Amino acid sequence: MERNSVVIRLAGESGEGVISSGDILTQAAARGGYYTQTFRTYPAEIKGGPCMYQVRMGAERIYSHGRHVDLLVCFNQEAWDLHHDALADDGVILYDSIAVEIPDEYRDRARPVRMEQLAKEIGGSSRAKNMVAVGAVSGVINFDTTPIQELVLRRYAHKTGVADANIAALNAGADEADDLRGSRAIAAPVEVQEDRVLMSGNQAIALGAVAAGLDYFGGYPITPASDILEWLSAKLPATGGITIQCEDEIASLASVIGASYAGAKAATATSGPGLSLMSELLGYAGTAEIPCVIIDAQRGGPSTGLPTKTEQSDLNHALYGGHGEAPRVVIAPTSVEDCFWATVDAFNYAEKYQVPVIILTDQGLATRMEVIHRPDTSKVERVERKTRKDAAGEYRRYELTADSVSPMGIPGEEGGQYVATGIEHDEVGHPAYTPANHVAMQTKRWAKLAPLSNGDARHAHVGDERPEIAIIGFGSTFGPVQEAVLKAQAEGLSVGAFYPRVLGPLPVESLNAFAANAATVLVPEVNFTGQLARLLKAECDFPLESHAKCDGLPFTGEDIYEKIQEAAR
Amino acid sequence: MSTAETPKRKPNDFKSDLKPIWCPGCGDFGVLASLYRAFAQLDVDPARTVIVSGIGCSSRLPGFVSTYGVHTLHGRALPVAMGVKLANPELTVVAVGGDGDGFAIGAGHFPHAARRNVDITYLVMDNEIYGLTKGQVSPTSLTEQKAPSTPWGNLETPLNTLAFAIASGAGFVARGASFNTKALTELIVQAMEHPGFSYIDALSPCVMFNNTQDEWKELVTDVAPDHDIADKVGAFDLALKGGFTLGILYKELRPTLDEKYRHLVERTPDSDIDAMLDAFSARKGVAIGKPLA
Repeated sequence: MERNSVVIRLAGESGEGVISSGDILTQAAARGGYYTQTFRTYPAEIKGGPCMYQVRMGAERIYSHGRHVDLLVCFNQEAWDLHHDALADDGVILYDSIAVEIPDEYRDRARPVRMEQLAKEIGGSSRAKNMVAVGAVSGVINFDTTPIQELVLRRYAHKTGVADANIAALNAGADEADDLRGSRAIAAPVEVQEDRVLMSGNQAIALGAVAAGLDYFGGYPITPASDILEWLSAKLPATGGITIQCEDEIASLASVIGASYAGAKAATATSGPGLSLMSELLGYAGTAEIPCVIIDAQRGGPSTGLPTKTEQSDLNHALYGGHGEAPRVVIAPTSVEDCFWATVDAFNYAEKYQVPVIILTDQGLATRMEVIHRPDTSKVERVERKTRKDAAGEYRRYELTADSVSPMGIPGEEGGQYVATGIEHDEVGHPAYTPANHVAMQTKRWAKLAPLSNGDARHAHVGDERPEIAIIGFGSTFGPVQEAVLKAQAEGLSVGAFYPRVLGPLPVESLNAFAANAATVLVPEVNFTGQLARLLKAECDFPLESHAKCDGLPFTGEDIYEKIQEAAR
Repeated sequence: MSTAETPKRKPNDFKSDLKPIWCPGCGDFGVLASLYRAFAQLDVDPARTVIVSGIGCSSRLPGFVSTYGVHTLHGRALPVAMGVKLANPELTVVAVGGDGDGFAIGAGHFPHAARRNVDITYLVMDNEIYGLTKGQVSPTSLTEQKAPSTPWGNLETPLNTLAFAIASGAGFVARGASFNTKALTELIVQAMEHPGFSYIDALSPCVMFNNTQDEWKELVTDVAPDHDIADKVGAFDLALKGGFTLGILYKELRPTLDEKYRHLVERTPDSDIDAMLDAFSARKGVAIGKPLA
C-alpha cells in the first residue's frame, strides 16, 4: 500500500555527504510536487561530529517532521548506534556496505549499499556517495528521479562529465536495494495548481522583512540566526536598503534604533545570548518609543548552552527582559509560512505602536526547510508610523493622545525637532521627574498596546473552538499540535488548540473563552521551567497541565497525540 | 548646508528652550558655545541635523540645541549615530559625550566607528573624571589620582584617546579645549566639513570633581605650524608625546561608509519581493548543494 508520507533519516559524520543528500532529496521532492519538512541536528563544531538530516515528504500537507523513521540511511556505524531506536516497526535500513555492521535481527529489512565503493568506481572519488544514497532511497520509496536528474544537470550545466557521473551514481544506487524497490512506496503527490515555495523559517523571515519594507538591518553573527544577516546582506541592496554586520549585538540594536529614529524600518536578528546583550536597549526603545524589530531564533540555553539545538526558553526574557517596565510586543510565528506573515505583522506593530517588537522563533523552525504556499504579496499591508505631519498645533513628541500613540518627528521634517531620551520626559520630551508625569507616561506607554490584546492581533487555531481537551502553546510547536489535533478530532475527540501569536500583550479574554469548556488544558513547550504555563497561570482563569521538556529537540505529532490520548482516558 | 535665500543663522538660533543643567564654570559650557558657533558658521539646518549622545553630564547636550537629538544609553552614542547616518546620509550627524561614556563603557564601539569611516563628527568632552556619579576616576584619569573609587591613588594608566583614534583609522583627529572657544569652534567646523569619521578630544574641566582648568591652561600648546597632518606616523608621535597639543593632529581622506553603501545600492540591479520569492519556487527547483536562492 502506498503511503501518504514517508520519513527518511540520513545520518553520519559531518562532512561526508549527509547534508547534501538531505538537501537533494528535499529539493527534488519539492520539485516533484511533494510537501516536505526537514529536521536537522548538527554538531556545534565546524568539522566532524555526528550529524543527522531528516526529510519527511508527503503527498498531502504535512505538519511535523515525524517521529518514526521509515527509511534510515547510515553512512557510518555511529549513525546506526545513535538512530536505530527511531525506526518505525517496519522501517528499512540502508547502510554503507563497508562502514556499517547491522545486528542480525534487523537483517530482513536492512540492505547494504555500496556508497563508497560505487562512488569511487563511477566518479573516481567518494564525492558521489550522496548520489548513491539518494538513488537507493528513491528506489525504496518509488520516487521518480527525474527531478533529481534535472537538478543535477542544472547544477553542473557546464561540467557534463560531473553531471553524468552523478546521474550514473544515482541510478547505480537505485539498483542497490533492488529487492526492496517500491516496498515503502510514497503515493503520487495530489496534483496542485497553486504555486509553492521551499524555504527555511529564517528565509521566510528575511523575505517577510523585505515585504514589510525593511530599509536597514544591523546584525551580528550567531547560530542559528546568522543566515538572516547573510541573506539580507546579499539581497537588501537590490531594494535600496542597507545591511551591516556590527561589532556586537549592542551595536546592532543601537544602530537599528538610530536608523529607525531617522525614519527607516529597521531590524536585527539574534539568538538568546544576543538578546541578553540587547536588553538595556529594548528598554530604551520602549521608553523613547522608537519602532524596531528584533528577531530571536532561540536555541538551547542557558548561557552558551546548546547552540545548535532547539528550545523555547527566551519567552520570559522577551516579555520581561530589562530593568524597569518598558513595553514591547512579542510575536511567535507558528510555521515557516507564518514566519513570513508574522514578520510583516511585527513591522506593522512596531510602526503603529512605536515599540520594539520581538519575533520569537527557535532553531527548529529557523533552520527547517519546508514546502509552503507562496505568500501572496498583494495581501501584504504596510503600516506607517504617525509623524509630525499627523499632528495639529504646537508639536509635542510625546503628546498624550486618545490612542496614546504620539506623532514622531523624523529628521528632515521642519518643526519636528525633539530629543529622544530614555530619561522620563514630559509631552515635549524634556526630562521630567514629577510623580504625576511618570504615572501619565507609564500609563501612556502601556495603554497604547491595548488594541493588540483586544482583537488587533491574529492568532492561530486548530480543531474545536471550545474543546474538552484544550492545547495552548506558542511558536513552533503548533505544527505537531496541528497534526495531533486533526488526527484525534477525526477519531471523534473534542480537542482543539489555540496559539496566541502575540504573547505580549497576552490575549487573556480569548484564552479564557477558548478554555472555558475544557476538562484538561495541555501546555506543551520546549523549556525546563514551563514559562508559558506559568504565564497562563498568572494571567488566566483555568487550571492547566504543563508539558515542558528541554531535550533540545522539537515535539513530534506523536508526542502530542499521546498526551491527548492520556487526557481522554 | 547653507542656502542662498535664507539669512544665515546665528549661534543663538541654535539654542533650545532648555537651560543647561551643568555646574557654573563647567567646561561643557565652552564646548556648547563653540558648537553653536560652528553650527552658525556652517549654517546647518536644525531640521536636518541630529546630535546623538550617551549618558553623563556632557551627554545632556542635545537637549540644549534646537536640532534633532538622541539622548541614548551609556556608551551607545556611536552605533546609534551610525544608524542615523546610514539610514539617511543627507543628515548632518554629530555624536557627543564624555570620556567615561566614550572610552570606558563605549570603548568597544569607538574603533569600529573610526575604521568604518561613517561620516559623523564625534566630540568628546574630556574632563578625566566621572562627574555625574560624583568624581570617580575615568579611563583618561591620571595615574595616582585620588578619587572616591581610588582612595589610595589610581593604579591604572590613562588611555591615550588621540593615539587610539589614529590607530583605529579615524580620518580626522584633533584636540581642542573648552577654554579656547575660538579655536574649538574652528576645529568643529573643520571636523564637520571633513567627509568621514572625525574625532575631537575637547578638554573640558570639571569644576566640581577635577578642577584642572588653571593647570591645563598652562599645559596646552598649539600644534607646530610645520606639523604635517597627512603624516600618520608623525601624528602618532605627537599623540604619544604627552602634554596637551591643541589643533589637528591627523587628517586623511578615505571614501566614507555611507558613500560606499550608496554605490553598492546604485550598482545592484533593482529587485523586489516577488522576484525574490520566485527564486524559492519549489517547481522551478534550485541549485543543489548551494544555499537556496
